[in-house]
Amino acid sequence: MEPWMRTLVLFLAVAVSGPGAYVAQATDTSGRFDRYGQCAGDRNGDGQVTVDELVAGVNNILEGCGHVPVAIRFAGRVGQEPFQCGTTYSGVGRNGGEFVPSDFRFYVSNVRLLTSDDREVAVLLDQDGVWQLEDVALLDFENKTSPCVNGTVQTNETVRGRVAPGAYNGIRFVLGVPFRRNHGDASVAPPPLSLTSMFWSWQAGYKFLRVDTALDAYHIHLGSTGCYFAQPGVVGGCARPNRAEVILRPFSVEDDVIVADLAALLADSDLNENKEGTPPGCMSDPGDDDCNVLLRNLGVDFASGQPVAGLQKFFRVEPHH
Amino acid sequence: MLGRIRGSAIYIAALSLLHCLAWAAEDLQAQRSYAVELPVGFPKPRIPADNPLSIEKIALGRFLFYDVRLSGNLSQSCASCHQQARAFTDGRPRAVGSTGEIHPRSAMSLTNVAYATALGWANPLLDSLERQALVPMFNERPVELGLSGKEEELVDRLRADLRYQRMFAEAFRGQSDPFTLGNIVKAIASFERTLISGNSAYDRYVQGLDDNALSEEAFFGGRLFFSERLECFHCHGGFNFTASVTHEGNPFDETSFQNNGLYNIDGRGAYPPDNTGLFEITRIPSDMGRFKAPTLRNLSYTAPYMHDGSIATLEEVIDHYAAGGRRIHSGPYAGDGSKNPYKSNFIRGFVITEEEKQQVLAFLQSLDDPEFVTNPRLSDPFQLWGCVSDCNYDFVVTVDELVRAVNIALGESSLAVCLSADPSGDGDPTIEEILQGIHALLAGC
Ligand code: HEC
Ligand code: HEC
Repeated sequence: MEPWMRTLVLFLAVAVSGPGAYVAQATDTSGRFDRYGQCAGDRNGDGQVTVDELVAGVNNILEGCGHVPVAIRFAGRVGQEPFQCGTTYSGVGRNGGEFVPSDFRFYVSNVRLLTSDDREVAVLLDQDGVWQLEDVALLDFENKTSPCVNGTVQTNETVRGRVAPGAYNGIRFVLGVPFRRNHGDASVAPPPLSLTSMFWSWQAGYKFLRVDTALDAYHIHLGSTGCYFAQPGVVGGCARPNRAEVILRPFSVEDDVIVADLAALLADSDLNENKEGTPPGCMSDPGDDDCNVLLRNLGVDFASGQPVAGLQKFFRVEPHH
Repeated sequence: MLGRIRGSAIYIAALSLLHCLAWAAEDLQAQRSYAVELPVGFPKPRIPADNPLSIEKIALGRFLFYDVRLSGNLSQSCASCHQQARAFTDGRPRAVGSTGEIHPRSAMSLTNVAYATALGWANPLLDSLERQALVPMFNERPVELGLSGKEEELVDRLRADLRYQRMFAEAFRGQSDPFTLGNIVKAIASFERTLISGNSAYDRYVQGLDDNALSEEAFFGGRLFFSERLECFHCHGGFNFTASVTHEGNPFDETSFQNNGLYNIDGRGAYPPDNTGLFEITRIPSDMGRFKAPTLRNLSYTAPYMHDGSIATLEEVIDHYAAGGRRIHSGPYAGDGSKNPYKSNFIRGFVITEEEKQQVLAFLQSLDDPEFVTNPRLSDPFQLWGCVSDCNYDFVVTVDELVRAVNIALGESSLAVCLSADPSGDGDPTIEEILQGIHALLAGC
């Protein structure tokens, strides 16, 4: 590229990357920039602005003028009842036990809307500095009232972003933190990856989904397991990623809400039973048979840690009123 | 009261003299980067590029390591499970967390932890002290310090402390808000990198400092230790008596995890379900029961032994290796560990006489470093050691030390150059404290 062209592209990028633009929100974990990254145009957060990133940024902004805001609603439920910290829900699980939740949060990522001809169109998340970072969002239904003492007062039930206008009739997203963001330095990560209750330091990653109970401690901590280093300090992969691919259809952004139902998740589990020698509930430990049915209801094959289409029961679509 | 004031007049005269000295001495230590003093023959530990050592970070990390505000319910600090007198272990077979939860494993010695490649008994993913520190702080399985979800509370607690206000600012200069989780773990890791032990009888012998440091018994025990009969050195070799070490300039991180035949529950190699070793992380069947061979330094202070504290004495450890594994006759963990299919083939068993056993024992004890477990620099800084302004803990206060204290009071030096100048913990050597220092200078410590 000629130097003058480079200057032009740079000028354009800087001129158009105003507030709210995705490209301006690159984040930095290297510590080379200010705390949450001030390197405009560094889309993938690697501390470098490549020409590709600039071009993509410029395109985004140009197209972005045509992008429309979307707010994708989620709702936490236990069966038909709304989720609430400390409420006693009965009839939960295979043998209809009592269930008193004390935490309920999960990360979603790579959110896409689906067209009727099966095209996937990415939702560019608003970089709000709290709940959303790059293409990751945290949904948080607990509000720290007893017994949700490990939580935060703030809650978040909506994923917000922008998408190209179109006729959409479905949605697809990943339940979990993407690999590229899952194994960084948690102690300096920006929100929402800064919440220590979602750290899973022992496994060098994050909890993708966290559900705890107050009554007879039962925990569901979903995350990648069997991770290994490719080179010192750099996780090369994980034997069982345990990321669910969720596809919901029909789904209308305007009229519907995505229900995350803990009763459906726990439908095949017995809350009073626990495989001996394993933690109560399921912490994604492959030796823990309590995970088997839970992961199935999330749409993940327990043995391989891979998503299986059509399996999940945790999420469903309901009309919003 | 009157006498006190009159006495004070003399002190204040001395103080103004010291003021002048202080300016002259222009204490630049604060900016100087700190190099840990290493025993002869020890390589330089590898220090992460984004966390160079400084005396300020080390001092701050020392406070944090000993501070119960680092636990959710204010009952525990790192030092609760890593006690200096026990070479930074806790004397229990299995550690107990701040909420009473029992850890499946035993607290590990932090002896020479600066060189460790993989931290913990069997976790290849914990490769830095910074990353590791997050585990006891935030882990929930089991709960150790119990800080999960309490990061803001933690930071608020520390921020409210005057001494920390000064120490964080001095350790992380130029940061508008140094009270971050990242900085907390950087400081703790910096302190941990000073936990260097290399002054045992064995060290003095091999460094040529004292040819008589090793008893004859220990000397012959060393021969056995390094022999092809006992094979100990294969897994517990090198300057730190463990194969899992690295150091600056070494491109390799050798992490070795071995099954030494402690269990064989189902006859097919199983270890107890909560302690499967490397298998817990990798799920590779042959990783069952593989743990890190820990350092054998300071063993006299670190009983009981093994990942679950299941061997009480060093004699029994030697018996264990002589038998080529442990046979448990009854109970849920019954089985013949010596027949564990995943056992290392260096653990074959051997014949050893009682005399030889005592020799091996004497050799292991020659690796004890009494200085390490009493070194005041590694001790609880909340307790005043010696007297006020005794910066180097030698029970003598010198003019130089008072100059340091005054420099700290004037803001010319960081608090780290003399922690004992501020026993009250308000981050500033007050006139009162300097007077106490002068008193110690004049009247003895
Ligand atoms: C409840 C007791 C407890 C507390 C509190 C605790 N630890 Fe530990 N520590 C342990 C146990 C148990 C292990 C072994 C962990 C394992 O292998 O699962 C360990 C291992 C370690 C190791 C690895 C050592 C090696 O040689 O591999 C380091 C480093 C460490 N702890 C540092 C710390 C620091 C820093 C803190 C405070 C932030 C701390 N610990 C708090 C019990 C504790
Ligand atoms: C094949 C490698 C290997 C050999 C050979 C070996 N060890 Fe070990 N050693 C280990 C491992 C691995 C552990 C930790 C095992 C565990 O906790 O499950 C260990 C633990 C120990 C411990 C307990 C340390 C502590 O802090 O709890 C002592 C003591 C010890 N070994 C001494 C010896 C002696 C003496 C010999 C020679 C007779 C020897 N070892 C030979 C691998 C080995």
